[in-house]
Amino acid sequence: MTKSPNIILYLCLVYYLAAALVTPGFFTVNNTWNLLYNLMPLLIVAVGQMLVILTAGIDLSVTAIIAVTSVVGGYIMSADYSPVDSSSLAIALGILGMVITGGIIGLINGISVAKLKMPAFMVTLTGLMFFGGFAVWLTKSQNIYNLPAGLVDMPYTSFLGLPLPIWTGLLVLGLIYLVLNKSLLGEWIYAVGVNPKTSRISGVNVDLTIIMVYMLSGVTAAIGSVLYTARLETGSPVMGQNLLLDVIGAVVIGGTSLFGGKGLLQWTVAGAFFMAMLDNSLNLAGLSYFLIMIVKGVIILSAAMLNVWGERKVIWSA
Amino acid sequence: MLFRYYWSLLVIVGCLTAGCAAKEEGTVIGISFETLQTEYWVASIEAMKSVCEENGVGYLEAVANGDANRQFEQVNNFISRGVDGIVIAPKDAHTVIPIIKAANRAGIPIAIYNRLPAENEGDYITVVADNYEISRNTVEYMAEVARESGKKHKAMILIGDLGDINAVNRRRGFDDALAAHKDLIEVVAEVPTEWNQEKALAGVTNALQVNPDIDFIFSSSDFLFPSVVSALKNADKYHPIGHPDHVILGGFDGDAMAYRMLREKYLDADGVQDVFFECQESVLAVIRKMREEQVPDLIVDPGFVIHQQNLEQKAESMWGASF
Repeated sequence: MTKSPNIILYLCLVYYLAAALVTPGFFTVNNTWNLLYNLMPLLIVAVGQMLVILTAGIDLSVTAIIAVTSVVGGYIMSADYSPVDSSSLAIALGILGMVITGGIIGLINGISVAKLKMPAFMVTLTGLMFFGGFAVWLTKSQNIYNLPAGLVDMPYTSFLGLPLPIWTGLLVLGLIYLVLNKSLLGEWIYAVGVNPKTSRISGVNVDLTIIMVYMLSGVTAAIGSVLYTARLETGSPVMGQNLLLDVIGAVVIGGTSLFGGKGLLQWTVAGAFFMAMLDNSLNLAGLSYFLIMIVKGVIILSAAMLNVWGERKVIWSA
Repeated sequence: MLFRYYWSLLVIVGCLTAGCAAKEEGTVIGISFETLQTEYWVASIEAMKSVCEENGVGYLEAVANGDANRQFEQVNNFISRGVDGIVIAPKDAHTVIPIIKAANRAGIPIAIYNRLPAENEGDYITVVADNYEISRNTVEYMAEVARESGKKHKAMILIGDLGDINAVNRRRGFDDALAAHKDLIEVVAEVPTEWNQEKALAGVTNALQVNPDIDFIFSSSDFLFPSVVSALKNADKYHPIGHPDHVILGGFDGDAMAYRMLREKYLDADGVQDVFFECQESVLAVIRKMREEQVPDLIVDPGFVIHQQNLEQKAESMWGASF
């Protein structure tokens, strides 16, 4: 695995400083909290995506997982549908149901890629359509309301001075850090991304590694969905449907190689932070919607080009 | 090394920003739209910006591209920026509630434009068209046209997203208007569109195949007219008023296409929301609230029906005519 410093960290700093200079209201305590608050769900989903991309795969179904798990959680927790009387129990069961659902969808993706040898792009694109459609079919396109107060208040509840969404994000980051840096699975993930054939010969359980990363991506998408569902107070079959570009953009801008085997958790953190900061600062600057879309598109495309260019440079120099 | 430079720069920037923040920026309103997908929303945001400019108020704009979550983040950005008021055209009646709560927590006045929020205890002003009454009057006019033709009719309605209270009220208006004309008009098709033109085209095409004798169509929004017209042309049923096979057409909104269709005598009637009134009231309500003046919680736009008989008199008030 590579640990060389990445340009995104410097870009982040430069952009942050520039935004602080020219964007009114950007460099304030309120906006810093707001930025972190907006960042957390995206970051959680993006680190799951990073694991998949590290194995040279891609998970395009994450937004559909967010939608399905939002609906499943909504049905379990909503006072209109829940079979459980106690709201605390409903919240616990709801979150558990969401995480299990995310894990199961990830398992299906992982088995399709690892065992059936189907291209990750096709599997997860189909998953995006199937599970996205499934969420709409399940709810007949209706949102689910009347979620328990404990859940909808969660984003505004603090523990030791930090709001719970930030604790959730830190917990997920900590776990993924341990997986990547302190476990055999982490070593396998990088090895599979560099070369699955030599990894298999070297004793790496390639299939299990691939299945695990898709499951972890499903689980992180589900955890992100918990935060989205809580803050919108709604279980929605279209939750997160426009988020895919941001999620993949965060990983790519973070410098994780689209060809696998190269990338660090802190790079993705910086990438996700950059995406959140971009939205926030352009929004505060009062730019029109169209300009924001153009700027974001150019930045993500440039990052992808740098990514590919970096890979080619490595190949040429070898 | 780099981090040492970074922290030094950060301190300098902090001082500069603090200096900038100390300057009086004037009153700023945050305008948040869930989408600019239709002419109606584009006309609305432009009208609001004009009202802000006329009143010497600055504005920030944000469009969420149909994503309630993004809209929530954008309004939070407004709040952290410290805007003085917020006007929002929300995604739907329920996802606006956490946004109202956020504005209330920050003590910032908020006006909800064009969509009535679901029941909640928040402090907000709603500016909304009387969707039920305008639809009912539009369909009532269409039914009179049908009665004058002296023959029986088969009707179709294009329904919007039923999570949107406006779509629900427009459908109620349609149903109630036709309840008095059951002897003459039979509703044979209800096409769910979820405010999506592709779904509308597929739905209308299918309905015309199953019921080729449909000759009375009400679209819950004018922005679905391209789909309706395309399907009617494919079925060779798109003819102007006066043609023996003319399909009685009605819509809701008052956009440029509806105006053109009225002029070209393809459209019989259109329910018009008064965009200028609604936008002006939304911005002014927030400004009045900022000045702690009394503002009603609900401001209703009565709208009007434009049809072939009053086209010349009413065209000036139809926003699509000047779009």
